[in-house]
Amino acid sequence: MLPPFLLFVKKISMRKSQSSRPLDHSRQFYCGPIDFIDPMGRHLLQGITLTLTPPCLCVITGPSGSGKTSLLRAICGLNKAQVHKRILDGKAYPDKKLPQWRAKVTLLLQDAPCIQGTIEQNLAFPFSFRNSPYKHFKHQEAKRLLKQVGLDHFDFDHNIEGLSGGERHRLALVRGLLWSPPVLLCDEPLSGLEPELADRCFQLLLDFSRTRPAIVLCVLHEERFARLANITMRLKDGTLHRT
Amino acid sequence: MGHYIELSTFDLFLAVGLIVIASAISLALQLGLTRSLAIATIRCILQLGAIGLILKKIFQINSPLLVIAWLAIMLYMASREAVRRSRSKYRGIRLDALLTMSFTSLVVGLLVTQVVIKVRPWYDPQYVIPIFGMIFGNSLNGICLCLDRFLEYLRSRRHEVELRLCFGATRQEAVIEGARQAVRTGMIPIINNMTVAGIVSLPGMMTGQIVAGASPIQAVAYQIVIMFMIAASNALGSMLLATLAARRLISHYGIELPHSKR
Repeated sequence: MLPPFLLFVKKISMRKSQSSRPLDHSRQFYCGPIDFIDPMGRHLLQGITLTLTPPCLCVITGPSGSGKTSLLRAICGLNKAQVHKRILDGKAYPDKKLPQWRAKVTLLLQDAPCIQGTIEQNLAFPFSFRNSPYKHFKHQEAKRLLKQVGLDHFDFDHNIEGLSGGERHRLALVRGLLWSPPVLLCDEPLSGLEPELADRCFQLLLDFSRTRPAIVLCVLHEERFARLANITMRLKDGTLHRT
Repeated sequence: MGHYIELSTFDLFLAVGLIVIASAISLALQLGLTRSLAIATIRCILQLGAIGLILKKIFQINSPLLVIAWLAIMLYMASREAVRRSRSKYRGIRLDALLTMSFTSLVVGLLVTQVVIKVRPWYDPQYVIPIFGMIFGNSLNGICLCLDRFLEYLRSRRHEVELRLCFGATRQEAVIEGARQAVRTGMIPIINNMTVAGIVSLPGMMTGQIVAGASPIQAVAYQIVIMFMIAASNALGSMLLATLAARRLISHYGIELPHSKR
């Protein structure tokens, strides 16, 4: 009997290395150097720079309190970190253009917050924004994704009030995949999910990074997922190390 | 047109008798209000007396500069009071309240005094001061309710606002729901007042004009202008203040939460 994670590895048969691909600089994602001093005065992120090229799924691990969440928030511009340069597809995004940047470098927040209302409202609201690349909510696509994460027993007009934590996490994941940004940042997207569901959701992220192709940057605790990533990095003492 | 009974100092002393009734009840039921009632009575007499004297002087001198100066003082006091009453605050809240009230009262007040009533000379204190006073007093209420609601929204639903920001929402798109609620809250009192006007309550200004001997029709005409003026200033003021507060609290870096008084 194989241990479960090996079964999983067999099932999805990942290509481990992307380095053989020629680098496509026009699609490159660059962010940094990032410096962040938290409200308690700790120098949490010390000159971190990220350069990634799609398709790529990158997992960031690190001890709790090491600043993983702060790093993701700094990248998408949701805290007071100093970020010297943000470049995507050869285009620079200064502070003034942060809303446009966030529409492309989208963060799935920790604890999967939802807006009050129905499932459909929760999935469709970003498409009404000025920075949305397309204005139409893709019903069929949404249905397909909801089915894949096991939420298809809910109607679109079901109120999200009664959803459990795990269901909210899956809904947030569907929202992110439906939005389909070139860079998707996920802050513990699989927490509160049973192992089998977590596997399925991680697989969706992998597929997304490959088919779009996109960059997916995940903060995760589970070692078994880190093994499947193209790149794994560890955040410790304010710096990122490739592992 | 009509007659008007002047009140003497002696009449006022008689009125103090009414306060005696109130304090007697307070004593009998041991409400513990006697002391504050006494202070309130004295403050009321002194403040209104002072205002009466000041207004009398302003009316006598009848100078545009003096009228403007007095309006500025009223404006400042009103915006300070609006901020003081709000349950949570943020850095710059005073300036925002002052800017909002100056802008709305200027726009609405000038429209009413110069275009609708056509006061001549334009600074005539007999009209300008009470009308601006009513705008200040009422937009103070509206602004205060609106501010409270908006800050409460940001506090209780910050995760939703952040979620919207994460998907590329602009500042306006992120807080539009909160701003909508806040402006609605700011406008409810005046809508209620307009709905029951004349049936449940006779508005203060109308009562005053009737006592002073104006014809009821004229008093009603004035009252209608005043009601609409208050509605406009509340709507404008709430909208403006919500916008200003959003500008300060939603920065490039996300939400800065207002801090609570308690």
